[in-house]
Amino acid sequence: MRAVLPRLLIWLGVFAAAAYFGIRHHVFAANLGIWLAAICTFAIYSILYRENVVFRLFEHIFIGLATGYGFYIMIIQVLQPKWWNPLVVEGRWYWVFAFLMATMFYTVYSRRFAWMNRLAVGIFMGLAAGNGIVGFITELAPQLKASFKPLWQSAYPYVHVSNVVFFVTIITVMSYFFFSFEQRHPVVKGSARLGRWLLMVAFGAIFGNTVMGRMSLLIDRLEFLLHHWLQVFSGM
Amino acid sequence: MKQDWQFWSRRIIWAVVAIATAVLLLVKVQARMYISKPALSLYRAVEAVPDDKIIVVCCDWEPGTRGENGLQTVALIRHCLKAGKRFAIFGWAYPAGPMLGQQIAERYQGMYGRKYGRDWVNWGFNTGGASMIRGLAKDIPGTIKQDIFHAPITQVPVMRGVKSVRDVGLILEITPSSTLYAWVDFVYGIYRTPIGYACTGVMAPEAFPYLDAGQIIGVLKGLAGAAEYEKLVGYEGDALKRMPAQSSAHAVIIILIVAGNVIYFRARRGGQAPGRRLSAP
Repeated sequence: MRAVLPRLLIWLGVFAAAAYFGIRHHVFAANLGIWLAAICTFAIYSILYRENVVFRLFEHIFIGLATGYGFYIMIIQVLQPKWWNPLVVEGRWYWVFAFLMATMFYTVYSRRFAWMNRLAVGIFMGLAAGNGIVGFITELAPQLKASFKPLWQSAYPYVHVSNVVFFVTIITVMSYFFFSFEQRHPVVKGSARLGRWLLMVAFGAIFGNTVMGRMSLLIDRLEFLLHHWLQVFSGM
Repeated sequence: MKQDWQFWSRRIIWAVVAIATAVLLLVKVQARMYISKPALSLYRAVEAVPDDKIIVVCCDWEPGTRGENGLQTVALIRHCLKAGKRFAIFGWAYPAGPMLGQQIAERYQGMYGRKYGRDWVNWGFNTGGASMIRGLAKDIPGTIKQDIFHAPITQVPVMRGVKSVRDVGLILEITPSSTLYAWVDFVYGIYRTPIGYACTGVMAPEAFPYLDAGQIIGVLKGLAGAAEYEKLVGYEGDALKRMPAQSSAHAVIIILIVAGNVIYFRARRGGQAPGRRLSAP
C-alpha cells in the first residue's frame, strides 16, 4: 500500500494537470468525450510499460461499466418486456414460474435447499444436450459430407491440387489423433508426423490471422488518437 | 545489464510497431484491394434479397473489437441502406451490440434518405442463446415483442409481413465470438435461410468449414474483409484507409519474426540458448 500510494498520487497529479490545462484552454468544452476516451486509451496502454495502478484502476472502471450497462440492458430490453409486462401488466400469472425457476439457481448458497439448484441445472443441461444433438446433425453432418471432395474429376487444376492437399491433410491429421494404440508401424508413424507438421501450418495460419486482428484494433486506437484527439493533419 | 535489455527490448519492439503503423496513418497511400470470393458472394447475397423479405443484421460485438467488427457493420449497413433493403438490427451475445448498430445506422440513414421504422428497425438485445434462436425462427414477433424504443414490434411499419425466419432473406452475423453455430444449427440447418458471416481475424479460420459446406454464403475476414466490402459498396471508408497501416504493421512483424529466429538460432549454435528438436510423442 505504501508503494502504491505515491504512484497513485503522481498519476492523479498528472490527470489533474491535464484536466486543468483542458479546462483553461476550453478543449474540454466540445470534446469531453474524446478527451475521456484518450485518457482511457493511455491508461489501458500503460500496461505495455509495466503493471501499474492506473491500468488496474481503469480496468476495474471498464469492468464496472460493462457490468452496469449489461445489467441495465437486461432489465430494460429483456426482463421488463418479456417477463414483467406479461406477468404484471397483462396478468399472465403463469410467468411467476419463470421467477421460481430462476430463484432455484441461487439455492446453491443454502445447504438445506441446494437440491433445488441441481433440479434447475439438470433441466437446463437436458435442454442444452437436446440442442446439441440437433446441432450435431444440422452442423457437422453437412461438413462431413463436404469433406468428401473429388480427387480426379475437377475441371480446374488448382482445385484438383487443393482437393488433394485437403485429402492428405485430413487423413494424416486424423492418424495423428489415433491414441488408442501405439503408433509403431512406419506408415502410421510417418503419417502422424506429417499430420503434426500440417497442424503446425494451420496454427501458423491462425496465428497470422490473430496478428491481423490485434493490429486492426491497435490501428483503430492510433487512428482515434491521431485524427480525433490530436487532430493531426493527414492526407487521408 | 542483460535484464535491462530483456526489459527494454520488448518495449522497443512495441514502439517500433506503433510507429510503423502510425506513419502509414499520417501519409496518404492508396490501398489496392483484391476482392476475395467469400466477400463477393456476401455482397451478391445482400443484393439478391427480395423486397418482401427482411435482412437481420446481428451485431454481436462490443467496443473492444470496434476496429474490425465496427467497420464491417458500417459497410454492411451502408450497403443495406444504399440498396434499399429492409433490415433489423439484433443482438444476443453482447448487450452493447444492438446499440452500437443503432448508432451506425442513425449516422448513415440520412445519406441514403432512409428512416427508422419505415426502412429499418432495431429489435434490441435478447438472451437465451440457442433456445431463443429456435423460438425466433418460428415466431419473430412473439420472441422480440418490442423494439428498442418500446414500440410493439408488430406496429413498426418495416415489420409488415415478417412472422418467422421464412420471411428473413439473409442473416448477417457480425461477431468476434463463436456465435455462428446457433444460426447454422437452428436456422440454416432447418429452414435453409442464407447466413453471411463477418468475423474478426482471429475467428476467420474457423469460418472455412462452414463456407466449404455451403452453410454460410460469404465471409468478411477482419479489417481486410471490411475494406473489400467498402470497395464493393463503392465508397472509401476507414477500413480502406487503414489497410496500408495494416500492411506496414505486418511487414514489421514479419521482419521481427525473422530477426528473432536468426538471433535465437545463432545463440543456440553458440550454446547460449536452450533448444530442442521436435520429436514424435
